[in-house]
Amino acid sequence: MSRDYKTLADRKNEYLAYEGHEVITWCAGCGNYGIQKALERAMVLEGVLPNNALFCYDIGCHGNGSDKIGKEGIYTIHGLHGRVISVAAGAAVANPQMKVIAEGGDGGTMSEGINHLIHAVRSDYPMMFILHNNENYGLTTGQASACTRKERPMNGSPDGVASEPMNVCDFVLGLNPSFVARSFSGDIKHMTDTLRAGLQHKGFAFIEIMQVCPTYNRQTPQKWYLERTNYLKHTPKTIESARKAAKDLTNKISYGILYQDKKLPNYMDRLANRNDIKTTPRDEVKRFNIKGLIKKFE
Amino acid sequence: MNRTTLKVAGESGMGLLSIGRIVAKVLKSMGFYVHSDREYPSLIKGGHSNLQIDFALKQIRSLSREVDLVIALDRPGLVEYIENIKKGGILVHGYERHHLIKDLAKRAKKRGVKLVYLPAHTIARNLGGSDVMVNVVLLGLMWRILGFDLKPLEAAIKKQFASKPQLLDIDLKCVRAGYKAEGEDDNPRKIPQYKISIPKTKPKTILLDGNMGVALGAIEAGVRTYFAYPMSPASSILMYLANFSHETKMVVKQAEDEITAAQMTLGANFMGSRAFTATSGGGYDLMTETVSLAGMTETPWLCVICQRPGPATGLPTWTGQGDLNMAIHSSHGEFARLVVGASDPTSCYELMQHAMNYAEEFQIPVILLSEKTIAEAQTMVPIFNSKIPIKRGLVTGKDLENLKPSDRYKITKSGVSLRWLPGTSKAGYYGNGDEHKEDGTLTEKGEEVIPMYEKRIKKLETLKKVLPDPVVYGTKSNADISFIGWGSSKSVMLDVIDEMKGSGVKVNYLHYEYLWPLKEKAAEKFFKNNKKVHILECNYQGQLANMIEGTTGKKFKGRLLKWNGRHFFLEDVIDYINKNS
Repeated sequence: MSRDYKTLADRKNEYLAYEGHEVITWCAGCGNYGIQKALERAMVLEGVLPNNALFCYDIGCHGNGSDKIGKEGIYTIHGLHGRVISVAAGAAVANPQMKVIAEGGDGGTMSEGINHLIHAVRSDYPMMFILHNNENYGLTTGQASACTRKERPMNGSPDGVASEPMNVCDFVLGLNPSFVARSFSGDIKHMTDTLRAGLQHKGFAFIEIMQVCPTYNRQTPQKWYLERTNYLKHTPKTIESARKAAKDLTNKISYGILYQDKKLPNYMDRLANRNDIKTTPRDEVKRFNIKGLIKKFE
Repeated sequence: MNRTTLKVAGESGMGLLSIGRIVAKVLKSMGFYVHSDREYPSLIKGGHSNLQIDFALKQIRSLSREVDLVIALDRPGLVEYIENIKKGGILVHGYERHHLIKDLAKRAKKRGVKLVYLPAHTIARNLGGSDVMVNVVLLGLMWRILGFDLKPLEAAIKKQFASKPQLLDIDLKCVRAGYKAEGEDDNPRKIPQYKISIPKTKPKTILLDGNMGVALGAIEAGVRTYFAYPMSPASSILMYLANFSHETKMVVKQAEDEITAAQMTLGANFMGSRAFTATSGGGYDLMTETVSLAGMTETPWLCVICQRPGPATGLPTWTGQGDLNMAIHSSHGEFARLVVGASDPTSCYELMQHAMNYAEEFQIPVILLSEKTIAEAQTMVPIFNSKIPIKRGLVTGKDLENLKPSDRYKITKSGVSLRWLPGTSKAGYYGNGDEHKEDGTLTEKGEEVIPMYEKRIKKLETLKKVLPDPVVYGTKSNADISFIGWGSSKSVMLDVIDEMKGSGVKVNYLHYEYLWPLKEKAAEKFFKNNKKVHILECNYQGQLANMIEGTTGKKFKGRLLKWNGRHFFLEDVIDYINKNS
């Protein structure tokens, strides 16, 4: 870590470029502060300059950070509830040379937009996705999400939810992913390292961050998580062993890279018609002569 | 009418489409002008369908309701169309179970329709062919009736089946047998024959459908990414672009749903590629939230809607113009958008390029309305050769160095602010779906909301000033009867105007290609210059009519409306004119 601090000190200007200037509106003690900080550090440590990245935010508490990152040189898009993966995937496909980072909450991602997650994993778009999992809908005042534990009374479900909670990493691991990791909003260093690994990954990097919510999720506060951490020493080699590690969310919660396949070709590499193309769809916008294409209609 | 009209009717899966394609191509190669469309149910095999081809010595763009020659491949084909055959017309069939069609001869006689029978099943089977080859036998017979030389048809069949040499041999035998009208019985056959003048010149044209026009327009305009979810009648755009993708190197992505297609389109345009999507009404319903986001973040966005009648699944393989109100009014909130309506392959091709330019220059969502009949009708148009330059309205080069983040959503008189692509300048910005200040940072302060809200809507007025005016076709003014319309109405009206020349009735037509923002002054002027103005729309409410009446205070003399899933046939309008002029 000390080397990282030194690097951050050396790259002070780049680091400051990621520092927000707007008043932050998250609750005191919210996990989002730590996540945003870890992301800024990971960007600097990976040497990604602000104008070589696009940050995409969903609607939810985390999304209120969309204009709290960077001062002047940052590009973000703050989209629709549950749809951030799709909008980010479109941007990533248009210019895979730029780092595209998308963030969403467990509410939007695992309910309204879960199909986008499924197909983004299948497509292996060149982007990183950070799931802020605080196990509830915070911004709409504490309703149950697909990740809310069963016995918890929530706003709108005072007797607890009647559905089983989802284990996000286990679910994603079932989709034959190329990168799945889990981290914890109370550990900036671990999050920084995990996000750096995600930024280095060439396909769809899925990172779940177990996030404390001091306002609507008092059952599992910081202390609760700290008592249950299990930092993985090695990345599981198979999806089966990764799923095994991901399963427990009650007694011993595994953090780290759960699974990675560096050899899987990402979406752009899979496009048969673009094997020999070095440019990006963004650089290719110019008139295309259709003369050859209309010959067969003459 | 100076055209010949053919109809091939049979079960879906009997090869109507391939016969139709061959006939259209041969007619084109002979120098005729061709327009062809098909009617079919939403089934892959088994439902009854038909394909109609109209051809003439001069350009035609629509279909005639009354046909000259029907080839019936199945029983419904034989009994359902007889009322649509002109007096003196011909019905050709190979139906061998005569006792099931006893009253047919009576009906034919009553209408003055000639029945021509050939035992096509038996012929095809005797020649080693399958039941599907009945269509080839009857095709040969049709060619004989039309009085055409068999050679060009044989050449076209050879080309079509070049990859299947065994079938080709049987196909050629079948078409020759049909042409000679050889039966296995000894009855000499009286085969009526048309005398159709053969064109002396061959026009330089292409034969294609509107969705191909959309695809080619997109390619020409430098669109590099296409995202869509299959939905009739827009699906062929996906197929066309994918089939071209090895030549164009375009990214063509079938998304998991229309929401994704819309979102990826927005993301790709935000990043700075050119992207669009296409769907039909139901798919567009799912996209409306994204349209609103494009309005708020001022991101270029383009969707082609190939209309079919709704509500719900409605008539999935039929045509209509019922989604004009939806295109204009869909999505929550108030913001500027552009709605344009294509009418034929050429306008699909050109409007795609203009639409992409307007979307980028004005940073707005654009909706291009097409219709099933435009999307799928094969028609002959001049060879595409547009000189429409790409206009992106982007800050580039040295100017990028002097930007401030607040330039991105700067309050301007026109409503349009500077736009530059993410990463190209040190001045970043927030593309915020929340209400925001000039650099995109969130605000909920009333006094900051007002100018930003206004700026976005102001673009509508700015846009209206630069949009091309609607065009008058036919008599410039003082017509005996006048029409206003949009979309495919133009095609039928141009044919009507041609047909009515010399009839003594002066007809004209005002065509709205750019539908929203509505250029109502053109309608006002048209009402002033013409006494009897009617509307022509394929919907129940008269959606454009209501919009024009509501804006101008003028009243249409009458409304020619149609909502049964069929487009306007030539006679629909001519009959209406005869009643109302």
